[in-house]
Order: sequence, then C-alpha cells, then structure tokens
Amino acid sequence: MAQEQGHVPLPRADAIRSRLVDTFSLIEHLQGLSQAVPRHTLREILDPSRQKKLMSGDQNQLVRFSIKPRHMGHITHSQRMLSRLQVRCSRRPPLSLWAGWVLENPIFSKFIIFLIFLNTIVLMVEIELMESTNTKLWPLKLTLEVADWFILLSFILEIILMWMFSFSLFWNNAWNVFDFVVTMSSLLPEFVVLMGVSGNSVWLQLLRISRVLRSLKLFARFRQIKVIILALARALKSMTFLLMLLLIFFYIFAVTGVYFFEDYSRSTIENLEYNMFFSDLLNSLVTVFILFTLDHWYALLQDVWKVPEASRVFSSIYVILWLLLGSIIFRNIIVAMMVTNFQNIRNELSEEMTHLEVQYKADIFKRQIIQRSASVATSHRKASKDVLKPKEPELSDSEKSDAETSDAETNDAETSDTEKSDVETGDAEKSDTQRSDSEESDTEEGEAKGSDAEQDEDGEGQKKSSKSKVYSSSSSTASSSSYSTFLMDWETLVHENLPGLMHMDQDDRVVWPRDSLFRYFELLEKLQYNLEERKNLQEFAVQALMSFEDK
Amino acid sequence: MSQYFHHNPPVRVASSSLFGTASEALYARFKKIKRKDVECQAFFRKVLKNPLFQLLMISTITSNAFFMVLGTDYNIRYKLFRLFEISEILFVSIYACEFFMKVYVEPIKYWRDGYNLLDVVIILIILIRYSLRKIKGRHYRYLHIADGIQSLRILKLISYSRGIRTLITAVGQTVYTVASVLTLLFVLMFIFAILGFCLFGTPEKGDLDNWGNLASAFFTLFSLATVDGWTNLQEQLDKRKFTVSRAFTIIFILLASFIFLNMFVGVMIMHTEDSIKKFQRELMAERHVTLMEEKQMILRNQQEAVNRLMNTQSGGGKNFTELVEEFKKTLRHTDPMVLDDFGSSLPFIDVYFSTLDNQDIVVQKLQELYYEIVNVLCLMLEDLPKKMSSHSSEFMN
Repeated sequence: MAQEQGHVPLPRADAIRSRLVDTFSLIEHLQGLSQAVPRHTLREILDPSRQKKLMSGDQNQLVRFSIKPRHMGHITHSQRMLSRLQVRCSRRPPLSLWAGWVLENPIFSKFIIFLIFLNTIVLMVEIELMESTNTKLWPLKLTLEVADWFILLSFILEIILMWMFSFSLFWNNAWNVFDFVVTMSSLLPEFVVLMGVSGNSVWLQLLRISRVLRSLKLFARFRQIKVIILALARALKSMTFLLMLLLIFFYIFAVTGVYFFEDYSRSTIENLEYNMFFSDLLNSLVTVFILFTLDHWYALLQDVWKVPEASRVFSSIYVILWLLLGSIIFRNIIVAMMVTNFQNIRNELSEEMTHLEVQYKADIFKRQIIQRSASVATSHRKASKDVLKPKEPELSDSEKSDAETSDAETNDAETSDTEKSDVETGDAEKSDTQRSDSEESDTEEGEAKGSDAEQDEDGEGQKKSSKSKVYSSSSSTASSSSYSTFLMDWETLVHENLPGLMHMDQDDRVVWPRDSLFRYFELLEKLQYNLEERKNLQEFAVQALMSFEDK
Repeated sequence: MSQYFHHNPPVRVASSSLFGTASEALYARFKKIKRKDVECQAFFRKVLKNPLFQLLMISTITSNAFFMVLGTDYNIRYKLFRLFEISEILFVSIYACEFFMKVYVEPIKYWRDGYNLLDVVIILIILIRYSLRKIKGRHYRYLHIADGIQSLRILKLISYSRGIRTLITAVGQTVYTVASVLTLLFVLMFIFAILGFCLFGTPEKGDLDNWGNLASAFFTLFSLATVDGWTNLQEQLDKRKFTVSRAFTIIFILLASFIFLNMFVGVMIMHTEDSIKKFQRELMAERHVTLMEEKQMILRNQQEAVNRLMNTQSGGGKNFTELVEEFKKTLRHTDPMVLDDFGSSLPFIDVYFSTLDNQDIVVQKLQELYYEIVNVLCLMLEDLPKKMSSHSSEFMN
C-alpha cells in the first residue's frame, strides 16, 4: 500500500490508514455501495427561514439530530418518563409520576422509617400484654390493635404506590420483593380467618408472628447495612460451586451410610441409642450432617460396634473418612474461600478508588497539556510570523533568543505556571459546556501545528476560547525554556497517565467535521512518513560524520 | 494445526535404566503408528463433543443417582424390582459405551486426563459389585458394602460441569499441603498414642477400653483432637486415679485441636488465595491475547480488502489517493461525526504534538552538536596544514 510512494512500509502509517478506511467505511464506498449522509441538521429544520428553503426543494432528505456529547449522571425512571412522547402529549400527567414524586419525597421515606420503628415497639408491648387479663388495660390493647392495623394499611399503601410507579421495575429489586412477601404474610391470616378456618392453628400463629419480619425492612433503608448484606450475598454467590460439591459429597455419604449400616439398623439388640440414625435416606442425611458438625461421633461409632454383625473396619473407615474429608477439609476450604472473597471485594473497592484517582490525575494532566499546547501555539505563531518557512535551524535560533531573554524569569514563570493550572481547573467546569464549540477551532489549531504554518489559519487560531487569554506572553516564552527541564519528566508523565487518558475517552466523545477528520487522518499519515524521512536524514548525517578519518 | 506437531523430531532421552530406554522406544514407536481409520475416529470425536451427547450423559447420571436414592428403601425396591434391574443394565451399558468410545478415539492420551481415570475407577467399582455377586453368591456378608460404594457414580457429573472443574483445579493445588499437614498430625498422634498406651493401657489398673491397644488409642486421641466427648474419656481416666492424665489430655488438646487443626485453616487460606489469583491472572492474559489476535485479524482483513480493490480497478493500479479523491469531494464541513476512539481525541492530539515538539527540540540540539563537531573538525583541519607548513619551514630552516 505504501509502495506507491516509494516508501518503506511503516506499521504506524498503515494503522492510521486502516483507521481512516474504517471510519469512513471506504471499502463499501469504493465497491459502489455508498452510505447516505444526512445533509441537514435539526437546527436547519427548526430555523423557519431555512426550513422554507428546504421545503421548497426536495422534501425527501435525511436529517441528522445534532449530537452534543455531555456527561450524564444516573438517569432515573421518572426522568425517563418525563421525556416520553406519550407523557408529554397527553392532557393529564399519568398517576405514576405523582407516585414517583411521593416515593422520592424525603418526608415520606422518613415517615415509613418511623412506622417501622413504631411497629417494632407495638409488637413488643403487645406480646407482653397478650397473656394478661387485666381489664383496665383494655383501652391500651385496643389502641395497640388499631396502631397495628394502621401500620399494615400504610405498608400496603406504599406497595400500591410502588406498583403505580412502575410495576415491572418493582419485581427487579430484591428488597421490594421481600417487602411484598412480608406484608402478604401478615395479611394472609386475616383472610384465612375471614374464610372460616379456625383461628387457632399453629400455622396461623406463626404467620402472625412474621410481622416481626417487618423490622427487617429497616435494612433496606440504611446504606451501610445494605452494603454489608450485598457483600455477604456476593461472597455466597461465588461459593455456589463449592456448596454444590459439598452437596454431592453429602449425597454420596448418605447413600453409602444406608447400605453400610444396614445390619446396625436392622439389629434387634436392645438399648441401641442411635438405632434409627441410618434407617432410611432422610435419617441418614441428617446423621451425615450431625457427623459433619463433629457431634457425638465417637459415641455413635461405639454404638455401632456393639452390634457384632456390623464390620468394624468398614464402619470406622466410613466415619473417619467422612470426618477428615467433610468436617476438617471442607470446612477449612469454606473458611479459606470466604476469606479470599472478602479480600477480593476489598481489593475491588480499593481498585475503584485507585481507578477514580487515576482518572482524576489524568484529568489534571489533560488540562496541563492543553495549557502547554496553548502556550506553545502562541510562541510558534510568534516565531512563524518572523520567519517565512519554519526550517528547523532558524526555528532553533528564534527559540534560543527567546530562551536567553527569559532565563531570568524562569523561576517566577514556573510558579505562575502552577497557579495557572489551578485557575485552569476552575475554568474547566465553566468551559466544558463551551467545549463543543471550541472543539472545532481546537482541531484546526491542531492541524496548524502538523502541517506547514499557513498564515490564514493563524487568524482562526486566534479566535480561540477564553483559555488563551489567561496567559501572559512572558509565561509562554518561559515555558519553552522550561521544556528542556521538563523533557526528562515528560515521557514518564505520559506513560503514567496514558492508561488513565485512554480509559477516560470512553466518556468524552469528540465531534469532528467530516472533511476535517479526513484531512486529519491523511495529514497524520503523511506526518509519519515525514518523521521517518527525517530520521533517515539524521542517520545519513551521522554516517557522514563518522566517516571523517584522521589523516 | 495438529499436523505441525507430528513433524517434531523424536527427542532422544538418555535414561540410565534398561526399562527407561525400552519404554521410551516403545512410546516413540507408538507415536509413529498412524491410524488407518481416520474417518471413523473423526466421527466418534464429533459425537463425543456434541452437546446432545453431553446432555444425554448428564441425564443418565442424574437418573442413576435418583434411582439409587429410591433403592435405599426396601419396599420401593421390592415393588419396582424389574424397573431397577432394567435401569441398572441400561446405565452400566451407557457407561461402558462411553468408556469404549473415548478409548477408541484417543487410546494413549486417554489415560493422562484425571477425569477419565475417574471413569475407569467407577467402572471397576461396578465390576467389583457384579463379580462379587457372581462369585460369592447372594448372601455374602460384604455384599451391601459393594452396594454402598455404587453411590460414587455421581462423581462422573463433575467432569461435565465447568464450574466445579475450575474449583477443583484451584483447590487441588492445596492437596500436597493438606497431605503433609495430615501426615504431621498422624505422627503426633502416633507419639501420643504410644505414650498413652504405656501410661494408661496397662492390663492391671489401666483403662483397657480406650487405651488397650493401638487402634483404640488412636480413636481416643482422634476424639480428643476433635474435642467431641472428651470429658467422658477424661472421667474414665479420673475414676482410675491417674494423676498425669489431666496434663496429658490438656497438652494433647492444645497441640492437636488448637494449633494443628487451625494451622490447617491458615495453610489452606494461603494456598487458595495463591491459586485463585494465579487462575484469574491466567484468565485475564488469555482474554487479552485473544483480543489482540482478533484486532490483528481485523486489521489484516481490511488491508487485504483495500489492496484487492486497488488491484482490480479497471484503471490499472490507481493510487489510493486518486481512488478516494471523489469521495473527498462529497464530504461537507457541516456534517458532524461523533467519534470516541483515542486516536482522534483531543488529549491524544495534545499529547502527541507536545511529544513531537519535544522531539523537535531534541533533534535541534543534536544538530547543533553536529555543527559544533563539524566546526571543531574544520578548525582542526585548518590548523593542521599551518602546522605542517610551519614545521616544514622550521625544518627547512
């Protein structure tokens, strides 16, 4: 591909060219399938004067919606609903918006927390008073009953509100499902009593007592407890395979136990304490669990030995093997996995912190670069105004003279550099919104550095954003001399921040004008060849020097 | 790809024993044997990798396990006797088929994989039960033990579940440490067993039940180590008025239960951490490598496509720039293109151009140095003839 220009193929240039081909999908274009490019933007359509002109012409055209890259935080469901066409064009706002507003209101959530506390207290007092038959306490009992019903009804109301807000999202959140289950289990006894079943069965008593579980709803409200429970759930999730393996071993030893201890289970000797422990599979499973917890295993073994038909060897092999494998080895594996998982979770959390730190550093680095590039641009523009063609020795002369005049100011300039970078971080937030406008001019300024300096582009470069006006001319010339001191650190700085920079770009997106982008890629490719040529020339010079002989 | 491996020259290993050289020669000979039935082998290999086959195996093993559960109950076994017999024959035949297929496909490499060895062991266990039944008759004492061992068949499931396999490879690294800790524990128990037997197992006034012979002494000590029911054992010793028994018991419990069994935990934690970290690093590296390869592939494909286009142009080898000249004319300045790759982003441009500027400065400095060198050499050159002429003039004079 590069042989056409008689150049050595450079991998970098090839990579840039393939990037160009990829971005503009040139392959399809050259094969004859061109993609339609929208010719008009939304601004043109909405502008009434331009709209008339467009509508008088061909009305079947593609319109591109203007895209401005912005940093968005988390978009809530209510924000999404507010942007829906159905909602905006209807006469009355839907009930779900009101429900969402109520649910997110801090007063409402504090009220719910208060109700949960009240529920706990009511329950405690009720249980104390349940047995007493003191008639003077009857109004108190009545108030407690009323309070309990009020709390139940308000929880039901909260669930209905959440359903009104979004029915499908309700079931996605596990805490909501838990709320639902607890509330329903409190309602169920009442319905069953209404239907005529006797109100004294044990099952109903248990269901009534599940009101206590409502106190667990507190866990969803406080953030720290949520984090702990989530960390626990994650640790358990990663141990699923371990638990599956453990279950397999439980199965193996339970079934084997039934067969091994057949004689013991069917034995007719009296006073066998653990006779029924291996009689059928369920009992055997329970016994295997008892052995897993190392409880009375020796007593069980000695009991088995009392029966003469049971072979001592096999029963003791069974018990000892299960103790070693299950109780000692498996239990310690479980402990080890939990510890490792907790460490991993902690490392991940700290990774997130370091990730944020890296991004923050990359942010600062970016602003430093922009500041430096702006100052170099002004100094280059000054240099190119004096000199027609920026040949390197002449540029070095002008830079040397600049460096000599500003040597005395180096120290002051460096401190002012750092001050300006602080000012930069303050401006940056303000100028972020102007970024899309200044991006176009920035890209053109970038081109000015890459290609030969052209006078007409300097004018455009000076129309830049307010950043360049912050700098005084002394700092711009001083920074070129401070370059030599910063050269050593530059490479390490870049290498440190490079992963952060590369990763950050997944959030910032750049809007390029189409032809500038094409030209940019072309010029970048040519630049690679030029750099290669310069390197070759340098090598020739070195060779020429080396070939001087001492006569 | 596998063809490349067969072209490796056979490595001659100088082994000292006759057996070593013989087995090496045999192995090399085996490697050279080419199979004639390549198509049939390929077919069976495809069958073994087929997901349907794996599903069949998993369902067979699960139903086998379920039937074993049902078989523990005597009544169910009595009623559904025929079903049990038929299903048993079915399961054993499926396992045998799978074994033969796998051995047929890879006769030599089959024996290297651990899970295949597990399959072989399970088939042997089935054979043991069958042969015991046949040889010793229906009323052999230990027949129910052979029945009990059949429950190990469910271990075949492990080879079909990827998660458990990774878990076992991760945990399996710790096997050596586990074995060494267990050996240490055994040695400790041995020492204390002999001591206990001598102290408390004498026939006259000793506790013969628990310390009478080595086996029961071991059991007693294991019971002490797992601190289950040790107070009863201690009571027995106290009844016989052994003064040293308390110290003995307490020292052993401290050593075995508190120190040894918890050392177990510590060692396992260390190794599990290491193996999991290594595993995750390997996973990451693998993913990275495949990603890089894919990127290279895409790049290469793209270059080839453009090359092809240029070569098949009717104009005969048009230049790339000429090809896209027309395309360039259609580009308008007001069309926005949103890109989020690093190569066309502002930080990259800024950093790249700053780096280029630095490079320029360095090259300038280098050039200045060259000029100085040339200058000095020129001066030296100028000086030299003058000296020569002055020398010659002195000489002449």
